[in-house]
Parts: sequence; C-alpha cells; structure tokens
Amino acid sequence: MSATVLPPSGAVASARLESFSYDDDIVRKFLWATFIWGLVGMLVGLWIALQLANPIFNTSLEWLSFGRLRPLHTNAVIFAFAGNAFFCGAYYSTQRLLKARMFSDFLSRFHFWGWQAIIVAAAITLPLGFTQAKEYAELEWPIDIAIAVVWVGFAINFVGTMLRRRERHLYVALWFYIASIVTVAILHIFNNLSMPAGLFKSYSIYAGVQDAFMQWWYGHNAVAFFLTTPFLGLMYYFMPKAADGPVFSYKLSILHFWSLVFLYIWAGPHHLHYTALPEWASTVGMLFSVMLWAPSWGGMINGLLTLRGAWHKVADDPILKFFVLAITAYGMSTFEGPLLSIKSVNSLAHYTDWIIAHVHTGALGWNGFLTFGMVYWLLPRLFQTPVYSKRLMELHFWIASFGILLYVVAIYSAGVTQGLMWRAFDATGRLAYPDFVETVVRLLPMYWLRVAGGSMYIIGMLLFGWNIFMTWRRRPATYVVPVITAPALEKRYVPEVVTTPRPVGVWARFAAAGWHRTWERMPITFTVLTVLAVVVASLFEILPTFLIKSNVPTIASVKPYTPLELAGRDMYIAEGCFNCHSQMIRPFRHETERFGEYSKPGESVYEHPFLWGSRRIGPDLARIGGKYPHLWHVRHFNEPTSITARSIMPAYPHFLTKTIDFEEIQSRVDAMAMLGVPYGDAVNRAPQMAREQATEIAAEIERQGGPSDLADKQIVAMVAYMQRLGMDIKAIPTTVGVRP
Amino acid sequence: MADQTNESGGEGPRLLEHEYDGIREYDNPMPGWWLLTFAGTVIFSVIYLFNVGPVGNGKGRIADYEAEMATAAALQPATPSRPAAAALLAMASDEEAVEEGEEVYQSYCASCHGPDGGGLIGPNLADANWIHGGSPDSVYNTIAVGVLAKGMPPWEKSLTPKQMSEVTAYVLSLRGTSPTNPKPPEGEPYTP
Ligand code: HEC
Ligand code: HEM
Repeated sequence: MSATVLPPSGAVASARLESFSYDDDIVRKFLWATFIWGLVGMLVGLWIALQLANPIFNTSLEWLSFGRLRPLHTNAVIFAFAGNAFFCGAYYSTQRLLKARMFSDFLSRFHFWGWQAIIVAAAITLPLGFTQAKEYAELEWPIDIAIAVVWVGFAINFVGTMLRRRERHLYVALWFYIASIVTVAILHIFNNLSMPAGLFKSYSIYAGVQDAFMQWWYGHNAVAFFLTTPFLGLMYYFMPKAADGPVFSYKLSILHFWSLVFLYIWAGPHHLHYTALPEWASTVGMLFSVMLWAPSWGGMINGLLTLRGAWHKVADDPILKFFVLAITAYGMSTFEGPLLSIKSVNSLAHYTDWIIAHVHTGALGWNGFLTFGMVYWLLPRLFQTPVYSKRLMELHFWIASFGILLYVVAIYSAGVTQGLMWRAFDATGRLAYPDFVETVVRLLPMYWLRVAGGSMYIIGMLLFGWNIFMTWRRRPATYVVPVITAPALEKRYVPEVVTTPRPVGVWARFAAAGWHRTWERMPITFTVLTVLAVVVASLFEILPTFLIKSNVPTIASVKPYTPLELAGRDMYIAEGCFNCHSQMIRPFRHETERFGEYSKPGESVYEHPFLWGSRRIGPDLARIGGKYPHLWHVRHFNEPTSITARSIMPAYPHFLTKTIDFEEIQSRVDAMAMLGVPYGDAVNRAPQMAREQATEIAAEIERQGGPSDLADKQIVAMVAYMQRLGMDIKAIPTTVGVRP
Repeated sequence: MADQTNESGGEGPRLLEHEYDGIREYDNPMPGWWLLTFAGTVIFSVIYLFNVGPVGNGKGRIADYEAEMATAAALQPATPSRPAAAALLAMASDEEAVEEGEEVYQSYCASCHGPDGGGLIGPNLADANWIHGGSPDSVYNTIAVGVLAKGMPPWEKSLTPKQMSEVTAYVLSLRGTSPTNPKPPEGEPYTP
C-alpha cells in the first residue's frame, strides 16, 4: 500500500518525441449516425407500440406488421443507435487514452461504412421477412458474415492502435472496450452458425434445447457486452471528463471489471427458467445472475462517487444530469436483473411486459442518457464551437426523463397485471381469466400511456437533433487539427523507480494490485486473459449442455415436420409470429390448464431453430394442433377479429392469396436433412409430398364450408403447421405428471 | 499500491500518480458494504446450489408441479355436478337467463356457429337435427366436454357452471328460429 513509484524521468527524457494528430472526422461520422439511427429506431419503437395499442396500425401491408417490425426496432436501437454511440465514444477516447491516432484510417472508414451498410441491409431484409428467428440475431447469414468481417476490421484497428500507443498503461475504459470487442465477436460467430437453404434463408445448426441455450448465452451477453460493458467504458472516460474530477476507486475498477467479465457469461439461462432447458442450467444461470449484482453496482458506485465533492455542478450542468440519471438507471436495472433471475420472481415476470419495462429502464435510461450526455460533451470539441443551446439540453433532459417514467411505470403495471391474471384461479378451481384476450385488453390503457411516454422521449430526440444540427452549422470553415507531441514508448518497459518499501505480506502485496498494473501495460496479454475468462466460463456451461444425453430424453413419437408443415413453419418464422407467441408451456398448473401438458425437451429435437419465444402477447401455441378446425384457422388468419372481436393480432389476408413455392421446399428439406433431421423419402420428393398434403387440407377446408381454391395457397401450409404443433406427444401413453 | 501521492498531504483520499488524458484515479478502498454484498451473494449461491435447508431447488420443478396438481385435484369434486334437464328447459324460457346466455354465446361461440346460430364452421344449432343429441342434457354435455376431434372445444373448464347453463339455455331457445344463412341440417332429428 505504501510503495511510491516516481515517474521514470530518465526514460522520458531520452525518448524520441513524436508528432501526430487525432482522427476526429471518424468520430463526427459516428456521431451523426448515432443520432439518425437512434431517431429511426425509436420511431419504429413508437410505431410498434401503437400496433399493440390498436392493431389497425399493422396496416394492410404485410411488410409493416408487428412481427416483422419488432426485430427492426430492436436491431436498430441496439446495433445502430447504441452501436454507433459506442463507436463514436470509443474512437474519440481510445486515441486520447493511448496518445495515438487510430492504427488505420482505412479500417476506421471501413468500419463506419461497413456498419452503416449492414444497418441498411437489416432495415430492408427484416420487413421482407428474412430472419433467423433468434432474438437480436435475426439477420440472415450473408449479413452475419458481413458483421463478422466488419467487426474483425474494428478489432484489428483497435489492437493496432494499442500496439502503437504512447501511453504505457491501459486505462480502465480500454479494458471494457477490449472485453466488448472480443466477446461480441465470439458470441456472434458461435450463435449464428447455420445451414444456408438459399441466399436469405438458413437454419440454425443447433436444435431445440441446445439452440435455446446458445441463443440465450448469446442474447444475454449481447445485453452485457453490447449495451453494458461498452457503455461502462464510455462512462469511465466521459464521466470524469465532464465532472472534472478523479475516478472514485481504482481497486473497485479492477474487481468489478474482472468479476463482470467472468460472471456475465454464465447468466444466459435465466431467460429460460421453467422451460425445457435442464434445471441445473437454469439454476446456474440464476445464481450467477445473483452474483452479478455487486459487480454491476461496482460500476455504478465508481460512476456516481466520481461526483463526490462535485454534486453542486450537477444542478447547472445538463451533461452531468444526463450522466447521473444514466448511472442511476444502470443501478436500477442491474438490481432488477438479478431479482428477475430468481426463479419464483421469474415465473411471474417471464413472458410479460415486466421484461419490457426492465429492458427500457436500461435502454432509455442507461444507454440513451449516457449517449446524450456524451454527445453533448463532444459537440463543442468536435464541431469546435460552443453548443447551440444549453436550455434545449435542459429541456431534453426533463422531457425525456418524464417520458421514461411514463413508459416504465405503465409497462411495469401492465406486466404485473397480466402475470397475475394468468395465474389467478377462482374459488371453484377454474382459471379466473380463461379467455386469453381478456388479459390482453386489460393492458390497452397502459399501452396508450407507453405511446405517450415514448413520444415524449422522441420529442427529446428531436431537440437533441436540433441542437446537434445548429451546433454543426456554426462550425468553423475548416476544423483545426491540433498537432500533439508525445514521446514514443521505449521498446522495453523501464520499471518505475520504487522509493518506498514494498508492502509486506502476500495479501498486502496482492491488494496493492501491482500485478494488475503489470497486466495493464501488456495489451495482448490483457486481451488474452479476457478471452480466457469469457471462454472458460462459457465452456463450463456449453459442454455439459451438449454432452449430457439425459438433458434431452428422447420421445419416440416425435417426428420431423412434413415438407408442407416445414413450409408453414418458415412462414411462421418470416412473419415473426414468435415475437408474440411462445411455444413453451411451463410446468405450472395455470399454464397446463390453459394450454395443455407442459413442454418436454424431447419435443424440440428437430426444432432448427427453436421457436420457444420469449413473449406472450398472444397465447402459447405449443399445443394448438387439433384444437380448432382448419376453417377456424383460415378465417382467423384472414381476419382475427372475426373470431375474437377484441383480438390485437395482425391480419394475414395475404396467406389466402399468395401461392406456395412448392419447388423451393426441396432446398429447405435438404438443408434440414444436412443438419441430421431424418427426412427419409422427403429428400427426393418434398414438393410432391407437400402438394399431396396441401390438396388434402384444402379439400377438408372446403368440406367445412370454406373457400374452394386454396390448394396452392400459403394458408394451407400455415394450417398444416398449426395443426401439427404439439400433436406428436399425444401419440404416446401419458407419462408421469400428465393429467388424462 | 504503486505510484500514489496524497494531494492534500494527509487527510482525504489518496490520488494515484498515473493520469490518462487528464483523468486521475483515487486509491479509495472498495466500500465495505459492497464487498459484503458481493460475498453475501456468493454465499447464498453456494447454499442454494447444494439445496441447504429451505434454500435451493428443493425437489425440483417437476416434483413441485406434480404436488401443485395433486393439491388442486384433491380440492375438486371428481365429477362436476350437472344441472337437471328440467331446470335447463325452464331456463330456456326464462328471458333473463337466455339474455345472459346470448352474451356468452356471442363472445365464445358465434365465431364458429354464426352470430344467429345458423352454423359456420360448426353445425347449425337452430334446426331440429343434432349430431350429439338434442335433449337438454346432451346439449349441455356436448358443450361441456366438446368434440375435440371434430373441432368443437370443451367449455367446462373455461365457463362457470352458471354460464354453462345459461349458454345451454340460449342454444335450446334457438330451436325454431330462422337464421339468415342456415347450414344444412346434420345428424338425427330430435323431438322434445
Ligand atoms: C372452434 C369452433 C367452435 C367453437 C368456438 C364452438 N363450437 Fe360448437 N361445434 C363446433 C363444431 C365443429 C361442432 C361439430 C362437432 C361434430 O361434428 O361432432 C360443434 C358442435 C356443437 C354442438 C353440438 C351440435 C350437434 O349437432 O350435436 C353444440 C351444442 C355446440 N357446438 C355448442 C357450442 C357452444 C355453446 C359454443 C360456445 C360456448 C361453441 N359450440 C363453440 C365448433 C365450435
Ligand atoms: C421511444 C422509444 C422506444 C419505444 C416507444 C419502444 C417501444 C418498444 C416496444 C413497443 C417493444 C415491444 C414490446 C413487446 O414486445 O411487448 C420494444 C421492445 C424492445 N426495445 Fe424498445 N422502445 C423504445 C426505445 C428503445 C431503445 C432506445 C432501446 C435500446 C437501446 C430499446 C430496446 C428494446 C429491446 C431490446 C426490446 C425487446 C425486449 C425483449 O425482447 O425482451 N427500445 N420497444
């Protein structure tokens, strides 16, 4: 604790002085992209919020229905808004923290333009229904490859800059950037492994339980390493800058960094409590989530306590206000996260709006406000002129804060209301709300409040944009590019001269963190250690999930989908039905009473990808097969309100007019067969088999009094799929726990 | 700790020597309550993992589910009581009961049997023919247990006994009405 090290003065004097400049042009580019995509993503958010409040907003255009737009919203706000914000802040701070220009101006531009092209591709393909059906990993395989390439370019640029640095040690912000960059690459690649079945169609190589596991290993860590660690890095740079004071505790940084990186990876299964995922995985996911509470709060403490002695500044500095609210929101959502991971709490919250409220506390508060504060701080520095209006900043802060409040309060109450309604039984042992739609219409007033809250947040965005625009307009004719001089690093590290005695005792020396200081001057070692932390933690869960056979007891009667059913399933995927319907009945009395026998792991063995879903805006569909006549489905898809007057489901009249591409089904079946699905004869004659089944179904629809021209229409594929769901298991004698 | 000085020379937090683009760090110790929280969650996790005492998975989610189902089954009568045929017939001519029944019918049945009972996906309920019998008990029974294989859902679990009787009464009251778009009769004629 008491060792004092003097700066290596001799080393500095002898070093060669170098001149260089920072690349701020790339930072400006990312700044504009942050604003533009943020606005777009949030407008799409508002649009889908309207669709839930009133289904007429689904319009009659199939490209604009909720199931297709929801992934567009999430991808746009996460990867376009938050992504560009991270890049913006990272390019600015990394250069300064390392006293070096980015390694390659070309790679910086490649990163920028490549990323924007990917976003545009997402904005086009998602409404067209090209999707892998995995949350936050919806984009199809060609785009996934592009993401991997661009990301690797970014990583090379970043590591190259570290290697050319003129600052010996890496500051904590950079640790977080490193962790984010390497982990996102790993997650992205392994979750997206898939078997192409056409240019814009692929099936996950994993199936059922394993696919679910991989998806949420990825999905949870997309939150962790795309929305949390990058923004912690940004916080560690911009917060002390804006507060003009030192960071609260270096030691806290060390402990909370490593514990976050190591623990986060395990937490994914908390998205799958009470599903067919093995219970041990669910338990591990829960416990690691509980243990994440303190490491997360370490970041909050370090952020907020950096303001110690400077709280008076918050009153008249809107930038600090944004930061304080952002960090507070971070603290709230990282407390709530562990809480939601506790199984009993999760049993109420899962599938409901509670999760949506949780997400948006984090997204609107933490990611949004940190971005706003950061951009306002950057504006005068990047555009070299004072910010256009501080009053507009204040106004933005207040209107957006109230917007968040309105949004989350309404949606929390919607979530709890619906969760309680689902599980309520009356005195006679009947479900108190057997009619699902009743639990939906109860939420509509809350959905309208969300529309109001979201609108306020978006008004804030417009003020933000106006301020950016007006500041930009006042920029100088040409930007001054300051020339920086700094000594190059010595080839070899010259140890700092220690003048005070080293701490005595093993613990004291360990606690003095000198070992960590050593790591901080070895960027490659540091990166490798981070990768190790992430990979080792991942393997602990992934290996057993894939290797233990008893995780997924086989059920002999479970057979692959017929070619026509597979075509229907592809439609279900393309329309994004899984965004509103789960196919995973949990072992609770209220669920089995409502939807039927709980889902078994063995039922999903051919599910490439799994379609368990994570929301229940509509009822579960795992056992919809055989529940209604074909004609019911035909009429329901054509116009849901003709069956259930108050339904908020979008209508799909195009199913009745668009024809099935029978020939294409062959490539789909072939891809599935390549993944090991036992398709037998279907690999040779899928189109023919599909036609036969389609004719039968069409005849039955006609017999029931329906239209007579449906044999080649998409609706029959969809009906085939619906009628198959949950049927296989009915073919076996009831197992333990199955009620007759 | 390496490289540290104390800015104010004595009291107050120690400021570490290093500096990155002007950013400095204090050498404050980690807050005690924070370390305790962290340790607490780790201890809790170990206890939970090994199912010590009341903390942990217990017997597991499937055993819990089976217990939940058993408790519920014990509380419910084995065979739900059915209303007498005479009572149903009486209700069919009780205007108030029929009105209540119509409300149930419009929300749950009209989508398949048509708003006026003329039949749509399901059969015509206003004619004299019945697939599953037209006596009040038979009609009640069909509605209660459904004909799943043919697309008629069971309603006993979702409707209250009162609603069940009322909707049956309403269906019985349809007899002899003339729906606008009737489906041809199915099943055997029934004369009360
Ligand atoms: C999903 C569509 C659907 C819904 C909803 C539905 N039914 Fe049916 N119902 C049918 C079908 C199909 C049949 C014919 C069953 C058969 O052919 O054996 C039927 C048969 C019946 C019968 C027997 C008719 C006969 O000829 O024996 C009665 C009575 C009946 N339904 C009443 C109701 C009532 C009351 C409700 C509302 C609580 C209701 N149904 C809701 C589809 C439906
Ligand atoms: C005006 C602002 C916004 C509005 C009105 C809005 C609205 C919505 C709506 C309606 C949904 C679907 C809810 C459902 O399926 O029930 C949603 C989901 C989601 N939004 Fe937003 N949103 C906004 C901003 C943001 C931002 C800024 C982010 C992230 C940075 C974000 C991240 C997400 C995510 C991750 C989901 C999916 C949650 C899940 O699957 O659990 N949103 N949003």
